Amino acid sequence: MQLKINAKDLASGIFLVLVALVGLYLNQDHSLGTARRMGPGYMPMMVFYIQAGLGALVIFFSLFSGPDPLEKWTKMDWGSLALGIAAGTLAWKLSPSVWGFFGQTYNAVGLGITVGFLVMAISAGWKLLAIICAAVALFGLILEKGGFFAALTAVILVSCVAEHTHTKKGVAGLLVFLLVLCWWVFIYELDIRVNLWPQS
Amino acid sequence: MELLLTNLAHGFGVALSLQNISFALLGALIGTAIGVLPGIGPVATISLLLPITFGLPATTAIIMLAGIFYGAQYGGSTTAILLNLPGEVSSVVTTLEGYKMARNGRAGAALATAALGSFFAGSIATILVAASGPLLTQVALSFGPADYFSLMLLGLIIACVLAQGSIIKAVGMVVLGVALGLVGTDVQTGQQRFTFGIPELSDGIGFVPIAMGMFGIAEIVLNLERPESRSVLSSKVGSLWLTKDEFKRATPAVLRGTVVGSFLGILPGGGASLAAFGSYMMERKMSKGRHMFGQGAIEGVAGPEAANNAAAQTSFIPLLTLGIPSNAVMALMVGALIIQGIQPGPRMVEAQPDLFWGLIASMWIGNLMLLVINLPMIGMWVKLLQVPYRFLYPSILVFCCIGVYSLNNNVFDVYMTVLFTVFGYMCNKLKLEPAPLLIGFVLGPMMEEHLRRAMLLSRGDWSVFIQRPISATMLGIAATALALMLLPNIRKGKDKALAE
Repeated sequence: MQLKINAKDLASGIFLVLVALVGLYLNQDHSLGTARRMGPGYMPMMVFYIQAGLGALVIFFSLFSGPDPLEKWTKMDWGSLALGIAAGTLAWKLSPSVWGFFGQTYNAVGLGITVGFLVMAISAGWKLLAIICAAVALFGLILEKGGFFAALTAVILVSCVAEHTHTKKGVAGLLVFLLVLCWWVFIYELDIRVNLWPQS
Repeated sequence: MELLLTNLAHGFGVALSLQNISFALLGALIGTAIGVLPGIGPVATISLLLPITFGLPATTAIIMLAGIFYGAQYGGSTTAILLNLPGEVSSVVTTLEGYKMARNGRAGAALATAALGSFFAGSIATILVAASGPLLTQVALSFGPADYFSLMLLGLIIACVLAQGSIIKAVGMVVLGVALGLVGTDVQTGQQRFTFGIPELSDGIGFVPIAMGMFGIAEIVLNLERPESRSVLSSKVGSLWLTKDEFKRATPAVLRGTVVGSFLGILPGGGASLAAFGSYMMERKMSKGRHMFGQGAIEGVAGPEAANNAAAQTSFIPLLTLGIPSNAVMALMVGALIIQGIQPGPRMVEAQPDLFWGLIASMWIGNLMLLVINLPMIGMWVKLLQVPYRFLYPSILVFCCIGVYSLNNNVFDVYMTVLFTVFGYMCNKLKLEPAPLLIGFVLGPMMEEHLRRAMLLSRGDWSVFIQRPISATMLGIAATALALMLLPNIRKGKDKALAE
């Protein structure tokens, strides 16, 4: 019998098994208890064993149910992924020593995510995903210090890069429209607690 | 019967308050808009609007979210008929005959059939919810922890069996969802599980970041990857009136669709799309106009449209009586209720009569509103279709961002959303279904609690699950469903059925 590998299923199965193994490893910290008095570790243990078993089944069947190849990653995709992770990690670890702002709460994490995705956006394969994710992360990074309007402007402008049919006029109109709409809905009507303008 | 009427009268009193009725209208309007616009579904919209509803009373919030859900069923049919583009998954089959009718110049009749059929089915299904709710609640109150556990297990299994694609992968996603639900403080011992010392995780992973990331933002990325291919609207709507002959043919189809839809909506894992499909198959085999299928048969619009709306209403039954969500939208409703501090379950009818009866009454009012929103105002919705996606997606994104942040006023949730966006994108590329994960995530913590309680009561004896008759029946059905699906013939039939 010839192997016809279903790469999508194979990858899914490996993913399920890996998560289950990590879960079982972490679950060693929790006491299992007995079936009568289950400890905090009992349910996770069962769940992760079942998940590992299912993952193994998915892997097994994937060997015969193909071919269903994954999308090809170009060298550029691999390179930008590695570069993005490296740049993101560096930004995350080093930024607090550069500016005290990044030492607070999750700002360094936000910067790391933003930088990482912006680097990934270089390659065509990641462009759309990376730009959208960077836009969302940038929102979190800017919101508390830069205020509501600055954060919204950043999300809108960055996300518009993802679609090449945008015109300058269209983006400007959209920006004004959304700023007014969001102010009306979230600040005027719902009164969410957030700074509107940059904080010193 | 008399009690039912008193209760319904009470419900209408609640639903007709100015606040509730205006939010029902708002929900119906948003839902219709969402249904008309391809590329954003009810799951994404409801998760998007969840944060907005926090400030509202629980009843008002649920009424509005429900309005979005059935509004989307109405709106989805408009694009299906006029553009051959299903606005929602549940209106896929409507494209088959509805678009043909539009090309024959009967677009108006098709739209009217869809709206009237939906209204009729919605009304009947609402009565069904009202009548069966209290009855089922009585039954549910006799359930012990073991029965609950088995019932939830059954719900999860059936949701997987009916999901598209590989069952094992779907079950895998459910289990992964349950695993994600384990994160946080263990309720009984207070121990932190899988939190990595992050204080924000001690309450568990947020429900909204998962739903918004996987259903909202990941969906945007995937839509952007596909080049926009929306044909410019050319067909005219034409007269909305049905001819006598059309009316005669549509009526029995609507009746059959209502029955099929009401039944399939109650099933866990069922819901609107399955109902529409089931009704379409039935019409093609049974209706008088079956020889006209493929050329614009009105039965092919009337049946499925009635069925999907009936199912949208009856899928509330398991949620309201047992507290068990039967599909991803209902999982979101559970999330909304829990955030409001209400534990869904059989005690809800008595503890929250305003919510229960008010919601039911508002379903009927909402359906009536939708009839008005859809038929005379059809031109406005058609205009909405001409807004290009490049203006829509930044708007959706902005609402997602603010919504997620305003949950806890914490940027941590924003970064979690990014994480789940990437995860949702990956799942799509690997053909892993996100909906079972969401249902598993919601049911997981409840299942753990019931499991632990059941085992404590049985003194560690696992056989309790097969000794209690209710529990044993549930497990039996679940096992049968799984076994049937593993038989290759039936599986092929299902794949074919879902692919059509």
